[in-house]
Amino acid sequence: MTTSTTSTPFREGLFREGPDGPALLAGRCTRCGRVSFPAPDMCLDCRGRELETVELGGEAELLCATTVHMPNRHFPPGHAVGFVVLPGGVRIFTQLRPVEDKPFRSGMPMELEIAPLWREDDADVLAYRFVPA
Amino acid sequence: MHDVVVLGVGQSEFGKFPERGIAEMGGAAARTAIADAGIDPGDLQAAFSSRVYEAMITSQTILKDLGVTGIEMVNVENACAGGSTAVRSLYKDIAAGYVDVGIAIGVESMTTSPVAGKLIPPDRYDLDGQMGLSMPVLFALQAKRLMETHGAKEEDFAQVSVKAHEFGALNPKAQYRKRFTVEEVLGSRMIADPITLLQCCPNTDGAAAVVLASADFARKYTEKPVRITGSSLISGDYDFKRADLTTMPLGVQAAAAAYEQAGIGPEDVDVVELHDAFATEELVHYEDLGLCPRGESVGLLRSGATSLGGRIPVNPSGGLLSLGHPLAASGVRIICELTDQLRGRAGDRQVPGARVGLAQMLGGAATGLDAGAASVHILTV
Ligand SMILES: [Zn+2]
Repeated sequence: MTTSTTSTPFREGLFREGPDGPALLAGRCTRCGRVSFPAPDMCLDCRGRELETVELGGEAELLCATTVHMPNRHFPPGHAVGFVVLPGGVRIFTQLRPVEDKPFRSGMPMELEIAPLWREDDADVLAYRFVPA
Repeated sequence: MHDVVVLGVGQSEFGKFPERGIAEMGGAAARTAIADAGIDPGDLQAAFSSRVYEAMITSQTILKDLGVTGIEMVNVENACAGGSTAVRSLYKDIAAGYVDVGIAIGVESMTTSPVAGKLIPPDRYDLDGQMGLSMPVLFALQAKRLMETHGAKEEDFAQVSVKAHEFGALNPKAQYRKRFTVEEVLGSRMIADPITLLQCCPNTDGAAAVVLASADFARKYTEKPVRITGSSLISGDYDFKRADLTTMPLGVQAAAAAYEQAGIGPEDVDVVELHDAFATEELVHYEDLGLCPRGESVGLLRSGATSLGGRIPVNPSGGLLSLGHPLAASGVRIICELTDQLRGRAGDRQVPGARVGLAQMLGGAATGLDAGAASVHILTV
């Protein structure tokens, strides 16, 4: 992808990029410890009002994957999606980037990647996806 | 609480009819249901209608052509469970004694909707929806888990569709009256691996309607009433509360509530109509409804128990896969099918001696929830 165009994050507060690699950002309840992605305004488990931002890092385990053979809003036919499980057990739905010689299988290690996934208003939209590690 | 019965049922033709408005399709279903009930349209005291797309005063738009005006009319939406929600809303008003008789209608014009021919997405601003989640994608990923945890094979998922079409071939109201082999189902175009085109419900236009009444009101019209003995509607719970994708806790909860109200268990059910928008999900519903122990849905399917002539036939109408799925109509339509089954007038697809029927619908997806809504109704003669 080119970097000559402007790019904007898909939503604020979902992820950050740093020198040590990208990380997803979640909300951790200071009362019960529940970690939620995306970070909610209140704890969805105990309804506690105090949440702190925590980094979920960039590593995950693949739970399941599928290839979608229809266009789906931002994505052309042939895109891959799935659920991955992040450290601490947070399960999220995500786009997946296939890698040759590393076919998707349940339990395989995955790596977070922040990439321009679609374009909106003449700008690349940066979002998260996972790639076989 | 007053006892509530299904007094009349009606279904419009199901198929692709972009030229037919909702008043035409809904009107056809409503006229049939009113005639079947044997009442005068002027007897209706309340109407609840459901439609997902482009919904506005659906009840009024349909019923004004039938001479029904000046009564309480409510229009509801709950994705694929919208029709069930309309039925339950009317049920509650009759049970509570607010009205004696009313009509519930579900109608949808899928071919003119914004999702015609597309994968049905969640709300426009939904996070997972933006990231590419849609109904078939969700069920495809669930199917992948069934293959891991349940030993389900692609042939098993295809068999669900084969079974649905065997029933559908016997139903004159079905959109598709054609049988398919497992090979044909697996050989159809891939939509979202492992779900192929013939494992997806078609785009369907149509409507269904039921006239419900208090048992007291119904006594004048029928000697063999079909009673609603259980009714539940449950919204989705947080996805983090379930250990795996192969169960939908809201479906379990909806089933438990309906069974408890009816005072029966899954072993007492003779016939089931459920949400098979995608073939793979049927296995999950077997377990969530308690038709078999957890983990044994593949065995139940392979045993033939849920097929034509089996111990507990599932979707004798042909299901959403074969009969078609006008979203909000389906929750009402399954009540029509079970009523016909319990009255012994389901023709070639009749489940012999059926006395207890269970109707289940599931609808909607949103980031962080197991699903939008689940509803179960139990009908008894
Ligand atoms: Zn908490």
